[in-house]
Amino acid sequence: MYKVHRSSFRPVSSSLKLTGKLGLSVLMSLASITFVHAGEVVWWAPNWGEKRAEELAKKFMVANPGIKIKMEVTVSNGLPARVLTALRSGNAPDLMEVQHGWVNEYAQGDFVLPLDDTIQEKADYNKGVLQVITWKEKLWAIPYRIETHGVIYNKDHFREAGLDPEKPPKTWDELQAAAKALTKAGRSGFGITGGGEMGNTIFRSLPFVWMNGGDLLNADMTKAVINSPASVKAIEFYTNFYKQGYAPKSTLENDGLALRRLFVAGALSAYQSGQFDVPAILKENPKLNVGTMMIPAPAGKQTAAIIGGWSYVIPKAAKNPTEAKKFLQFLNTAENQAFYTDTFPARASASKFPRFNDPILKPFAEMLPHGRTAPIHPDWVKMTQFYFDGIQRILLGDQTVQKSMDQANADIQALLK
Amino acid sequence: MTRKLKRTGLSAPLVYIGAFLLVAVCLFPFLWMGLSSIKQLNELYTIPPRWFPEMPTLANYQKVLFESRIPRYFLNSIVISVGSTGLALILAIFAANGFARFRFKGQAFWQTFILVGQLLPTAAIIVPLFITLKVLGLINTYWGLILVYMIITLPLSVWMLTSYFKAIPIELEEAAVIDGCSRVGILFRITLPLSLPGLVAVLVYAFITTWNEFIFALCFATDSTVKTLPIGLAEFSTEFNTDWGSVMAASMVMTIPIALLFLVFQKLFIGGLTAGATKG
Amino acid sequence: MPALIVLMMLIAYPVTYTGILSVTNQQEEFVGLQNFRDVLRPRVTTQALWNTLWWVFGSIFFQVIFGVAAAILLNQKFRGRAVVRSIALIPWVVPGIVAATTWAWMFHTEFGIINYMLTGAGVLEEPIGWLITGNTVLPAMIAINVWKLFPFVAIMVLAGLQSIPQELFEAAKVDGASYWEEVRHIMLPQIRPVVTAVTLLLVIWALNAITIIYAITSGGPANKTLITPIQIFRLAFESSAFNQSAALAVMFFGIVMLIVFIYIKSLATESSEKS
Repeated sequence: MYKVHRSSFRPVSSSLKLTGKLGLSVLMSLASITFVHAGEVVWWAPNWGEKRAEELAKKFMVANPGIKIKMEVTVSNGLPARVLTALRSGNAPDLMEVQHGWVNEYAQGDFVLPLDDTIQEKADYNKGVLQVITWKEKLWAIPYRIETHGVIYNKDHFREAGLDPEKPPKTWDELQAAAKALTKAGRSGFGITGGGEMGNTIFRSLPFVWMNGGDLLNADMTKAVINSPASVKAIEFYTNFYKQGYAPKSTLENDGLALRRLFVAGALSAYQSGQFDVPAILKENPKLNVGTMMIPAPAGKQTAAIIGGWSYVIPKAAKNPTEAKKFLQFLNTAENQAFYTDTFPARASASKFPRFNDPILKPFAEMLPHGRTAPIHPDWVKMTQFYFDGIQRILLGDQTVQKSMDQANADIQALLK
Repeated sequence: MTRKLKRTGLSAPLVYIGAFLLVAVCLFPFLWMGLSSIKQLNELYTIPPRWFPEMPTLANYQKVLFESRIPRYFLNSIVISVGSTGLALILAIFAANGFARFRFKGQAFWQTFILVGQLLPTAAIIVPLFITLKVLGLINTYWGLILVYMIITLPLSVWMLTSYFKAIPIELEEAAVIDGCSRVGILFRITLPLSLPGLVAVLVYAFITTWNEFIFALCFATDSTVKTLPIGLAEFSTEFNTDWGSVMAASMVMTIPIALLFLVFQKLFIGGLTAGATKG
Repeated sequence: MPALIVLMMLIAYPVTYTGILSVTNQQEEFVGLQNFRDVLRPRVTTQALWNTLWWVFGSIFFQVIFGVAAAILLNQKFRGRAVVRSIALIPWVVPGIVAATTWAWMFHTEFGIINYMLTGAGVLEEPIGWLITGNTVLPAMIAINVWKLFPFVAIMVLAGLQSIPQELFEAAKVDGASYWEEVRHIMLPQIRPVVTAVTLLLVIWALNAITIIYAITSGGPANKTLITPIQIFRLAFESSAFNQSAALAVMFFGIVMLIVFIYIKSLATESSEKS
């Protein structure tokens, strides 16, 4: 049995053909690149605001004939990865919409331009959110949308349980009592998240820690303090809803969306979420009698929440930054912010517009001044991951609250060295 | 040799039970998806869950087929998948032929190198690939994605094809050489026809991989002239909401044509060397 | 040959890029093995490695067994075979994210159809928290992964089965072999090269396929389903620790290459023994 020996001429001829093919295709595609016009602004706008974005772009182009706005629609799935990839490869659009929390790493990575020269009427903006996007005394984004959580509840369930739907709980004790009264077979009183993407649980549990005087880190971010008595008490309060059976059995696999679905199905009486859930709930089940309230705080203390929302950034690799900045100023007039935002605008004057007067939105608006932003630390995501793992360990029953937070504390502290 | 031998096989009931189990396992979630695609929003998430909708609707399909960009994305996906699969197959055939038949220096190195290509995690290669495409000017073009998909399916295709080529008895090729067949002739007249099932299998693999790929398409296709179906799926999700009815309907649109296509193609799984090929 | 050159250009660059990232820091200064130390320190890294082992072996074992069994079945002539073959393809074709979320929904403790059917049929007394119990969550993920990919094995092996020369079967029949003996002595040995190649690929895929786990549990709860590739992804895109991510990727890559190398070597000794 002999092996056929190697012949060398066929590979050569096909390699010539191949290089020829490759070369031709490269030339063809180079020729077909659309030239970037001076005066064209590429805008990455998310798909949930697409129609409004188009309107704004049209309005701007009419008023500024020399500038063309090219909109590219983005989806939330994979967005942070996509944005980072674009920024790191130097191939980025002129204007992007990102969440406030992402801005700091872009600033530190030198991926975006400072926008102090672009923001107008700075004093009109929510102070907390400006803090998040500031770094080294410069502004690295312009926020246009802010929101916090509140509590959404089922008024009919309240009545059935003998509670007054117009006087919802204001303190932790009242909330616990209400949850207990509301829970029965096939229905959970108060839902918490324990699964899915960790932001869901951070947004819902960390403010409780803040309300009680605790925190993840101390003021100058040198020590982890999540296992302090105040913090532990708050975590206990949060996880007890599940431990005592007032939250659904499926908590560990539920994110905010699952909670909403349980609420719509009538299996949940109350849960924390943002105002964006309300229209979705009413669409799926118009018969529900939906109420909203502020997040209860420990007796005698103030409530708190994390401010979420979106900002505009201009990448350093933008091809037309000057035009982008001009467009940005247009987008951030009070009127346009009020028009574009899905929740609340970042400018105080913009929130006077009529669409924000809906009574259901009132508790959310009242929560805004109590909103806080997460501290800025390069390892923040890793730290919250340790914290979230800790919460899951408690819910799994693997550790007690104190033990779990001690471990989380140690893990976080290790990062601070 | 013309005596017909009785074909042994699995007993009929065993075959049908096995087939039934196979169908049940494969279809169970798919059935759930299909039924979800004809449900209205308020019937999608009920407690307790229900299989059949009380008020079935075709509204989701209407939305997907007529009111979304899915048809365009379907076209894009076809072009890109066919293009990258075709190219990858051509290259793979030549490379696998080399690996299977010829011994050349550093063969083990090259085989390992190809495996390396397959092992790279997405997070590691996406930025350098992005830069490469930018330099070549291929962002947001068909060719850009075709090239990238070719890269990610080529290593596997070569690897699999090599093992299929190796399975062909060497005597056939030796006989052909004796008959005066050229190298190219061998490839086209013996190797390819006999490895047809293998070729089809590799084709199916490459096509399916590129059809469903998400993250590269997300980063390298920026407008709807080039975006693919998986991105179209993602577009039914807004920040806090997902139009699940449409997602399920779109998934049906993405899956059923491929299954039907395979129905046609699987006839090519005839295979089997004809008796007497080596006795000539 | 030319295919290899194309491959080389497009593989070597990312590999070198990752390598460089792993030994530098954010300011692009050379820091040697610092990143490697930093990423090995937290206990989550070891947990992830263990989970990865379970995930890979669990998935492959069942994928191969079910895939080969399905292939043997689909190789048989029977009515409606073409349709069954197409149906068998479906799990593989269904988009990964949709499959993942559909399964997650079916496994859901309260909304899920699986609990509903099992409790309704009396098999279970109480619904099982598939995705919320430490012991069942990784097996559930593995089950989904097996469902998704066993068709791949089936198709590849089926192609291999189709290439078995007819004479072998005829010779066996002359010898009076039963079907199961045919399976053991003809089919299985003949498809061995295909199965080995496929297994290798399944290992590689299991090591890279983060879609299913990421979409459903994100690696939770409490990192019980965290596998190393997801950790690499998290470090890169969630924590922006690209350098550490690269270091972990390099290490992981090294381990995998080692396994692959041993695998190939053992294959080579086997085939040389045969001839």
